[in-house]
Amino acid sequence: MRLEVGGMGIAIGGGRSVELLRRLPGFAIFETGEGRVDVHIELDSHEVIPEGTLLHSFDIVDGQMVCRFCKLVDGRYVYRFGDMGALLCPAPGREGEEPYRISELRMPAVLRFAVWTAVSMAGLGFGCLPVHSSVVVCDGRAVMCLGESGTGKSTHTRLWLQHIEGTHLLNDDSPLLGRDADGWHVYGSPWSGKTPCFRRERWPLAALLRLEQRPENTIRRLGTIESFTALQPSCPPCMMKDELLQDALVDYVGRVISEVPVYKMGCLPDEAAARLSHNTIFGQ
Amino acid sequence: MRIDTRMKLRNVAGENIVIMSDGQASDMTRVVAFNESALEVYNALKEREFELDDVVRVLTDIYEVDEATARRDAGAWIEAMRKNDMLL
Repeated sequence: MRLEVGGMGIAIGGGRSVELLRRLPGFAIFETGEGRVDVHIELDSHEVIPEGTLLHSFDIVDGQMVCRFCKLVDGRYVYRFGDMGALLCPAPGREGEEPYRISELRMPAVLRFAVWTAVSMAGLGFGCLPVHSSVVVCDGRAVMCLGESGTGKSTHTRLWLQHIEGTHLLNDDSPLLGRDADGWHVYGSPWSGKTPCFRRERWPLAALLRLEQRPENTIRRLGTIESFTALQPSCPPCMMKDELLQDALVDYVGRVISEVPVYKMGCLPDEAAARLSHNTIFGQ
Repeated sequence: MRIDTRMKLRNVAGENIVIMSDGQASDMTRVVAFNESALEVYNALKEREFELDDVVRVLTDIYEVDEATARRDAGAWIEAMRKNDMLL
């Protein structure tokens, strides 16, 4: 199976989990057959994975399981999904050379998360990362809405769809953001949260919009430091827990905010909020 | 006292910042930004023990500033560093 996500060609091999992955919502849309391969993911791996040093632990699959993020002495990283299995990632710089090995995972939601994690870790090396956001496309350019869970990212993009002509949703949870020769682009992905919006599309990024709930609608463009603190928390959180990964992530965020305007918006869930952000970003 | 250099000073898009690790909070990032003079002091003292007088000397060596002003600014720098747990 070969996926194309975030401009990366991802070859996925293994046993019966390959077919399971293909049947999960979203993945078949990103299957592309032949093409360049940048990253290898091996499912149903039997590799014995050492424990390593714990860097971070967090809940996954709605709190049903704890994921432990560890580092091995040889520089590789491990994500351990409860007692079910693990993902073994190559050391930074070897993303394209060694496979990401995932043991057999019996829960589809965990398999889905494990593949997302492998793509994230590989993407850091390729400069293309998933960003927790809801993304709307308008006039041929994308706007990424960022914010804590429950802030109203999806609500805000839905207001654009309702009230701004010529808009469509690209992804509602975890699109990828990477730079091509002609600038930063947002890519649809097989990970779209509760909204089944899986589009194999790529759009130039117009702006990042950090949302907060407020009793009135306000918007302002952020300076460098605030832009950094607006975007960084929306990138994969584990990467801040290891110095090497943090270096690469901070470099990535710095490059994005050097070239893309970042806005902070206090907003109500109303039409005026959608019009304010649209008019500010698209200059009308 | 000493600067805790385990907290890495980085240049991000032209700004000199230290990213603070605030425990488990994953959706909040706090950074401490250094202006030009704060950065000069940081770089001058990052590898040694120092006292208030050393900070004053760095400032009077680099900038055309009187002793009283330098002492006030040095105190403010130490206070800001201490408040952000960046001194050992």
